[in-house]
Amino acid sequence: MRMINQDEEVEAEVTWEDQQNINSFSKLNVKFSDIEERYGEKKQEDEYLDDLLQELEQQELLGDEGELVRYKIGDAFISITLEDAAQRTKREKEFLSEELKKLRNEMDSLTTEMEKLKVLLYGKFGKAINLEKD
Amino acid sequence: MLKVLKSGLIEKSSSDSSEEVVTNPRGIPKVQFVENVEEYMSKTSSTIEVTLGKFQETVAKYKFMELNYTNRKKGLELKIPEIKKTLTVVEFLISTQDSDESIETTFELNDTLWAAAKIKSTKTVYLWLGANVMLEYELQEAKELLETKLTTAQNSLNCVVEDLEFMREQITTMEVNIARVYNWDVKRRRVAKTTQSEKTLDMVE
Repeated sequence: MRMINQDEEVEAEVTWEDQQNINSFSKLNVKFSDIEERYGEKKQEDEYLDDLLQELEQQELLGDEGELVRYKIGDAFISITLEDAAQRTKREKEFLSEELKKLRNEMDSLTTEMEKLKVLLYGKFGKAINLEKD
Repeated sequence: MLKVLKSGLIEKSSSDSSEEVVTNPRGIPKVQFVENVEEYMSKTSSTIEVTLGKFQETVAKYKFMELNYTNRKKGLELKIPEIKKTLTVVEFLISTQDSDESIETTFELNDTLWAAAKIKSTKTVYLWLGANVMLEYELQEAKELLETKLTTAQNSLNCVVEDLEFMREQITTMEVNIARVYNWDVKRRRVAKTTQSEKTLDMVE
């Protein structure tokens, strides 16, 4: 915690409503960090699937229609046709896109809420409160 | 009066909190918000150091509980993808159970050691239930069991996340209490010093 100068002090008392706003901000902040992390992980999965789709398309072009491809289901690999593999990958990608969209929307709404609370709290407490990510 | 906190810590309630302790649905106590620092400090017989110490102790307890729950959350977050993976495989087996062809698979015998296998279409599957127990299930039953496990794990995870949010709220409230009591004390000392130096000036004149 840092010390502020005497002239930066604010006389404002913390009411229960203020405390609830501060608590909400803290809660939203934690939620946001959590979602940000999950979003990062899913984004990476999405990139892997993109690479996979590219590889599969290349294989298709090479004309190895008959050859089976080892697709990971659970912890083991199952040999399935190129077509099946491409279908499964596309389905997974669609599913991931939906999840990514949901997470993105949640992050946006959390950010809006936090901005609103920031305006309220900085308005009342000014330099006596710190709401930034360090 | 002794209160047993969720994590097994025992807390003696002081004489000034004779009201009921509010808890969340899973028994985690709510902290007391100090409405007016001046009023609170005049009511309590303890000094500023004792009060700050008490508050900081409470924060430490909640942070300890928070750590436990965070670990529990991580455990569940690992378990859920595992259950999902198993469920995917069972669903795949269901989709191929009626075909005559056998499934060619490459599976993990050990870390970095893989082996090839041919699996005939099957009607049953063996599920590892933990504690060295494995049971045979029909495909549909296995799918339902895994789906139930998945729902339970997700519900537990939601409860843990809710509890963690609640704890975070209590910690924040407590930390704000500490800051305000400390600030109040700083101001009080400053005022006392100014009055003291004024008195000395008066005496000198």
